[in-house]
Amino acid sequence: MTQDEILAALLEIFRETFDDGGIELSRTTTADDVDGWDSLTHIQLVSAVEGHFGVRFKLQEIMKFNDVGDLCDCIAKHTA
Amino acid sequence: VVSLYFAVPHRARWTLLLAASYYFYMSWRVEYALLIMASTLVVYFTTIGIQEAESERRKRFFVGVSVVFNFGLLFVFKYFNFLGSSLQQLADHLTLGVHVPVLHFLLPVGISFYTFQIVSYTIDVYRGDKEAERHFGIFALFVCFFPQLVAGPIERSGDLLPQFFEKHEFDYVRVTDGLKQMFWGLFKKVVIADRLAVVVDHVYSNPTDLDGFPLLLASVFFPFQVYCDFSGYSDIAVGAARVMGFELTTNFNRPYAARSVPEYWRRWHISLTTWFNDYLYLPTVVKRRDWGVRIAVVWALMVTFTLSGLWHGAYWTFIVFGMIHGSALCIEFLTRARRKKLTAFLPPLVYSYLCLGFMLSFIVFVDVFFRASTMSDALYIIPHMITGTVRDLVDLKNAGFSLGAIKGMFAGLGAPKWDIALAMVLIVFLELVQLVQARIVIREALRPRPTWQRWSLYYAMGVLFLLLGAFNNSVQFIYFQF
Repeated sequence: MTQDEILAALLEIFRETFDDGGIELSRTTTADDVDGWDSLTHIQLVSAVEGHFGVRFKLQEIMKFNDVGDLCDCIAKHTA
Repeated sequence: VVSLYFAVPHRARWTLLLAASYYFYMSWRVEYALLIMASTLVVYFTTIGIQEAESERRKRFFVGVSVVFNFGLLFVFKYFNFLGSSLQQLADHLTLGVHVPVLHFLLPVGISFYTFQIVSYTIDVYRGDKEAERHFGIFALFVCFFPQLVAGPIERSGDLLPQFFEKHEFDYVRVTDGLKQMFWGLFKKVVIADRLAVVVDHVYSNPTDLDGFPLLLASVFFPFQVYCDFSGYSDIAVGAARVMGFELTTNFNRPYAARSVPEYWRRWHISLTTWFNDYLYLPTVVKRRDWGVRIAVVWALMVTFTLSGLWHGAYWTFIVFGMIHGSALCIEFLTRARRKKLTAFLPPLVYSYLCLGFMLSFIVFVDVFFRASTMSDALYIIPHMITGTVRDLVDLKNAGFSLGAIKGMFAGLGAPKWDIALAMVLIVFLELVQLVQARIVIREALRPRPTWQRWSLYYAMGVLFLLLGAFNNSVQFIYFQF
């Protein structure tokens, strides 16, 4: 899967999870840029991503998602 | 210590700081220095053990030893008697005739803070986020660095440890910045917190003697008192460290400007919140996500906040305090989507102020549990401060809002009326300063100003400090007892 495909899939997941069709994503997007993305909703997002890509992240990986780029790389690693 | 610090060469500085830290700690009780030394030794060797272990099992073994030892000490000193007396009550209730022993020693100052700091370090080494520190002296200093030893901020090894190896030159701007921050901290503590303490302590020492407005006023004062007390201490700690060239974590960011409970916890005692988030909440929620995200979040929140309440002290009031916060966060989380729809018609600014008002009321309510000496006091205060105040206001209306009736409402507060008026003015002053602080860093904005303007401000603050400081009833920092 290419980075662009991952990012496009993530955009759908983000918009659905945070119930906001106006969200835009890039690799440098962080939790501060997305309204409603905080430590409580983070796990909703992680869970939705895991379900969509059929992967399972480790705690260590989840803790190191500092921006959308980290998340993309981790998905790419798991789906490779 | 500070002038010596800059006088001695870089190589010897850690020795000086370590000696100063131990001297500072031993000024409470000499024996407790042995305790902190034991913790230091255990963590030093177990973390090197973790680093060098070849199998996951051995790593886990060393983590276990360190965590059990440190939390074990914390438990013995802080929680044993609480558990004992609770069990005793249960045993008496069931007429079992069992006698649970009671241990007699004082809680070592700062144990909750340094225990959390070294447990965090142990887990960081285990997770591979941090290399085990081999320099024993520097490591010992990390455990007991005196500015933040007794009441935080709880530092992360990744932030603080490397700073001990860096060489800090004397820098006039940084030193004076640190001193100014210390002064502002001291101002908040001695002028604001200790003034509010007069009313709060009086009302909360025998709350059942009072009814109505005095209960409400003291309960509104308390959040400001505890904020000035604790953030004042944090400013002194961060400022003192800055004088010597160390940057500590920011512990407070205007908590009462929060628009929601999660936001409040991102602004209040930040170093503790992030500790609980990284080492308890997140691992729990990730581990339980197969239960369904909603259930996992509710479970993790309740566990985390019950324990964070208990962190403050072994009393039911703190447990209830934590559980109310946990429940509020659960409700916040579960109703997010629905509230978004329900409030969509409100202009954002109106909604924001509504949230602010709601949060302030919530903090006043939940802090009653934080401050009350017993659960029965808290359960008396909450209904009486609401219904009683409504009754007082009706009486006031019937009396035609006469001056005498207004004065009557302020009776029973244990302080002259001017002191109460002053306390209110100080709260307004605090909030104004904080509003300015939210937009600019005051010391930096002042720097380009002419000398006379800057010094007039410093003198004015100094005079206010001397005039208004509550020196004759200085109170110990609230968080020293945690």
